[in-house]
Amino acid sequence: MINPFEDFKEYPYEKKKIPLDRIVQAKEKVMEQIVEGYLKLVEEEVKDLVWLVEHSRLIKAYSSALRTIQKIDYDIDDIEELCLELDKGDRIPYLISGPAGIYLAALCNNAKEEKIQLRLHELKRAFHFLGYRLPEGKTLILKGNAGDFIGASLSGGKIIVEGSAGNWAGAGMIDGDLVITDNAGQNTGAWMSGGEIHIEGHIIGIGKIIHGGRIYHRGNLIRPYETTTR
Amino acid sequence: MKLLQGKKVQEMSRRENKHDLLLKEIWAKVRKKHFFPELPDPAISESIDRVALEIKSKRIILSQSFIEDAARHLPIEKVIEALLDHGVAHYTYCPWDFHTHLTLYQKAKKVLKDKDKAQKSTEYFMDVVADTHCFKEKDTPISHLYRHMERGIMDEAIHALYQKIWGVDLNVQGYEEIARKLSRIPYLDRKPWPESIRRFSNIIQGLIESEEKSGTLNQPSPMGQNDLGRYSLEEMDQGLKEFAMATGDPSTFKEVVNDFEDELKDAGYDTNNTMGLGSGSPLDADALFYMKLAENYSLPIKKVPIEKSGSLYPMSHSPWELGKPFRDIDPWTSFGKVMPGITQIWERTEGEVFGEREGIPNCIVVIDSSGSMTNPRQRLSHAVLGAACASDAYLRNDATVAVYNFSDAKHGGSQILDYTRHRKKIYQALCHYYGGGTRLDIEDIESLQDPSLPDMFIITDMQITNLEVLIGYLNGLENRVTAVHIGENERAWHFKRSTKLRKNISVYSVNKKEDVPKIVLGKIREYFGIAT
Repeated sequence: MINPFEDFKEYPYEKKKIPLDRIVQAKEKVMEQIVEGYLKLVEEEVKDLVWLVEHSRLIKAYSSALRTIQKIDYDIDDIEELCLELDKGDRIPYLISGPAGIYLAALCNNAKEEKIQLRLHELKRAFHFLGYRLPEGKTLILKGNAGDFIGASLSGGKIIVEGSAGNWAGAGMIDGDLVITDNAGQNTGAWMSGGEIHIEGHIIGIGKIIHGGRIYHRGNLIRPYETTTR
Repeated sequence: MKLLQGKKVQEMSRRENKHDLLLKEIWAKVRKKHFFPELPDPAISESIDRVALEIKSKRIILSQSFIEDAARHLPIEKVIEALLDHGVAHYTYCPWDFHTHLTLYQKAKKVLKDKDKAQKSTEYFMDVVADTHCFKEKDTPISHLYRHMERGIMDEAIHALYQKIWGVDLNVQGYEEIARKLSRIPYLDRKPWPESIRRFSNIIQGLIESEEKSGTLNQPSPMGQNDLGRYSLEEMDQGLKEFAMATGDPSTFKEVVNDFEDELKDAGYDTNNTMGLGSGSPLDADALFYMKLAENYSLPIKKVPIEKSGSLYPMSHSPWELGKPFRDIDPWTSFGKVMPGITQIWERTEGEVFGEREGIPNCIVVIDSSGSMTNPRQRLSHAVLGAACASDAYLRNDATVAVYNFSDAKHGGSQILDYTRHRKKIYQALCHYYGGGTRLDIEDIESLQDPSLPDMFIITDMQITNLEVLIGYLNGLENRVTAVHIGENERAWHFKRSTKLRKNISVYSVNKKEDVPKIVLGKIREYFGIAT
């Protein structure tokens, strides 16, 4: 009887090992660690799936996030991919914008790279607290709309939002620049004590209490007023 | 002079023969390497000058001039083998089929928002996947070919990527950042391809834009364009069917079909047998969506109604009692005795025979397109899908279909399509959306009635102003009526209750597209013995 697969026998079939295999595998491993870190943070910080924005909780969540990411060897591509994973929700069962933003901020602040660009155009959700405590020497470019508290407690870094920002943009910022190319929401710059906010689009409202710093609207200084109280 | 020309012609013809023989030899090797793909024999053509190869109706055609150019750096056998490997991998691995091609394009378009850019990105993505598959899994000289190739901006970046993910030197400098970002994509994992091309497009967006600025966006890549000409008509038909099912969204489907309208026509996509794709008729793409989506479902029609014959036949046994007729006694099971308790009699039952009404009658499809119904052009309309599936079922069974599409019929919001087998016309009538009030005109439906008692398929959310009139009308009909209500509401329940006693009216509820296949057309409850 003739073996119908006789012809196949002659061709030695040997898969090569190529660098792509290693790169994808390594990337997967890092992503697993990052996701695990986020889930751990959520478990620690979020009770009953509710997360209230309080100053002390912010500090605690940020410190916790910093501790978690210390052992992970990641780069900016991993951060961008985490944004996609959080948005897709295949691997991450729940997205809570506050802790997710704090976690992303911790990742950005501790990234090896000085310039970080996140493409948020296609994301269905907006992350809050991106750029929280961004230190001097770092630039964060957000392509697309951002959520609330963008650049909160900004500590000398530069944030460029190529889109609109939500409420409380630059809240409590200490130093640095926050540039919003489109609109900004309510309480922009509330409690800020230093640095500059530049808004090119429409501003819904400025924070009532501003301790310092400057806010520019389409290039014109709007805070402090000439007679403003500090 | 003439002698010189003659010599030249002879030389060319000798070279061509040599190339053809070589191609034949290498093709046998390549086929074996790729496990004997079902592709026609390739050819070499002089008319292709801008790209290395073309694939038309599955046939790989290599460019003579490209081969000769590349043969200056590489043995000609290697050049031909590399080109064939590239072409075959597109067939055997990526895109594999028309549906995958459309899906990849749609994802790229979502990022790049422009047809030409999305096409470019899709082509490069498919090239990367196919070539990487080849390089990893087969013994191919493709990397040697790429080392000596002329490159544009995009090709430089893609070859920088190959350097990184294949671990070979292709003489490319720069593009490290892009190559690093692109190298993270799992090209050889088929499942996440839609997500992968999204990321791929995102990363190369800047490069594509710079190609656009330099005016080279529409130039084909050196390895040739992955256009739709490679697919057969059957593949296109099947691909559109799968794509409609996978997207489930008329606007996405329409966008892609409109983008490829010319290509589909050029490829000979039959506009008469399937669907008109004529320019300036955007509704056609909507109708095509429902047409292709409906092809994924097959609704059963009760074909042969069984009628009682009136004759009684012995069916089962029961004990004989005094007073019961002797003629029904079964002597074989009564041990030859006539004694109550021992003797058994036959129980008779009415027999069933095939009646006169065999086959499938024609059908009147009544569809509600009022404001409370989903606009089929914007979102998936379960009503249009249900009506389309029902129409298809009747057409498949050689019956004809009439359509009554209504919204506010008293004020001109209705459309009647007389009995026809013209699928395109039926779908266009079904897809028409009035979006007004909901009032039907019984006279319109009555005008479609005929003595052969056509079946009636009515699909609505039951928010009809004159629902009582409809109920009264249906209750007086002898036709088989399949009524489908979209969503649950009080009026749907009222309709169900009011038609409960009628055995020729079957009522179904559709809340999601998965409910559509549960519909049984022309069901008569009597012969099932259960109430719907």
